[in-house]
Amino acid sequence: MRARLGWLYTAPALAVVLAVTIFPILFSVVLSFTRVRVTYGGFRVEELTLDNYVALFQSSEWHYAVLFTFFYTVVTVAIELVLGVLAALVLERLGAARGWLLALLLIPWSMITVISAQLWGFIYNSTYGVATWLLEALFGTAPIILGTPVPAITGMMVADIWKTTPFVTIIVLAGLVMLSREVYESAEIDGANAWTTFWRVTLPQLKSTLAVAVLFRILQAFGVFDLPFVLTTGGPGTATQSLAILGYKTLFQDLHIGPGAAIATSTGVLVIGGCLLFLKAFRAQVGKEDLA
Amino acid sequence: MTRRSGARRVFNLVNLGALVLVVATAAPLYWMVVNSLKGGAELGATPPTPWPSDPTADNYVQAFAGNGFGGYVVNSLVVSVVSTVVVVSLATFAGYALARLPMRGRRPLMIALLMISVFPAIAVVTPLYLVERQLGLLNSHLGLIIPYVAFNLPLAIWIMRNYMLGVPTALEDAATVDGASPTRTVVQVVVPVVRPGILTAAIFTFTATWTEFLMALTFNSQNDYRTIPVGISLFGSSFEVPHGTIFAAAVSATAPIAILVLVFRRSVVSGLASGAVKG
Repeated sequence: MRARLGWLYTAPALAVVLAVTIFPILFSVVLSFTRVRVTYGGFRVEELTLDNYVALFQSSEWHYAVLFTFFYTVVTVAIELVLGVLAALVLERLGAARGWLLALLLIPWSMITVISAQLWGFIYNSTYGVATWLLEALFGTAPIILGTPVPAITGMMVADIWKTTPFVTIIVLAGLVMLSREVYESAEIDGANAWTTFWRVTLPQLKSTLAVAVLFRILQAFGVFDLPFVLTTGGPGTATQSLAILGYKTLFQDLHIGPGAAIATSTGVLVIGGCLLFLKAFRAQVGKEDLA
Repeated sequence: MTRRSGARRVFNLVNLGALVLVVATAAPLYWMVVNSLKGGAELGATPPTPWPSDPTADNYVQAFAGNGFGGYVVNSLVVSVVSTVVVVSLATFAGYALARLPMRGRRPLMIALLMISVFPAIAVVTPLYLVERQLGLLNSHLGLIIPYVAFNLPLAIWIMRNYMLGVPTALEDAATVDGASPTRTVVQVVVPVVRPGILTAAIFTFTATWTEFLMALTFNSQNDYRTIPVGISLFGSSFEVPHGTIFAAAVSATAPIAILVLVFRRSVVSGLASGAVKG
């Protein structure tokens, strides 16, 4: 009786989730194996084929997008992790000001990404952007930030790091606050200095907290879309073209549904694969649920 | 002696770190606000002026009167508020079931939900677009509300379940002993107790729907149904980028969500801390 009730209470939520996520994912996978003709009235599936994947694996644009997305994810998440931990350590030792600083950090985190992208685009503007002006003042010359590949990628990363490091900081801070005081006392008695204490006592205890923060950041960074769409539209050339941008352009600008679905599916497979690998490697616990 | 100077050094390092953190976080925000108050000529001035020499509200007037920003705000509010209410209602019951009732297959279900909540939206946007086109849902509020509900439910269920696990069962047991029906117990006994959890789930859902871009861009491209992110992303599509108007709109869209998050920052922080989170 109570077991039936459990499913009854869960059913409405599950029905919506299944209908809107699982079904489209499967549909998308099917589309990736078809040749689709788009017509004015709709679209027609013409034949089953592996062509989309053959073309995908041969496409240098796809190769670059995969590499760029991986590179972007690894570098931004690594930097956010280091900065996030440092910021959390600062916040933990801060007295009354902690609440205020925490509040300030929540603003970029809660901002619309499109807005922060417009803001950074203005900061990087080649004629009147404050970053261009600063670089010129410091080094005598400044690159056209968004018009040159390496500075554009760097600029995009800075914008991402600014917006999402607070997320890591807050999670790590919550983990720090919950650490047991006793371990620190015994470390102090053993004569451990601050550096050793951090590496031997603090970090190991934070492992599962860090795993959660990193996992969510990896998944999010891998799907990055809003930021390059507004800041660089994937450019200059294809320098900042993430998998999501490539998929969007293929699907909605070129209306190549089959190839676009193949890009989408490849992104999903890479994400799930990476996610499972990560969980296995770190035996991560998320919330109270053991996932590995 | 050495201990004390060591402690002082750490203290200074902490303050220095805090100062760097404040400047790095606040400077871009400051720049957004300052530039929303500058006139057209001053916005393009080189070198940039640190604050507006002649502050003006023109950009705000232009954003709301000339660029239809008010309409985008209404669309965003309708979509976000309705999605949040539906998500929280469904997630409360599902979270209760997953925390309290015996269910076989609960663990794989929870993991599947987590995977879905972080799945890249690009992977589902085409089939959803085709389905919505078939059903005539493109360019309607419902066309965004349905996917927003589906994509935010998993996280909300996680938050509700984790919260309910921390609540003692005594009250529910008492209600059951008194002969209250299970549904009545949830509505009248559980809901009031888990109000902080509901608030957390609501804030996360509202923030996520308020900021969502990809689906809003592809499903609702007609001006009458554009949400704030889509509207603001298209402000710059004309020959001359109207930075002043963009910043006025940006400040107007950031202020309400920032205030909401700041007022309820305990809920936000505990939600993030509970582990079941996405950024």
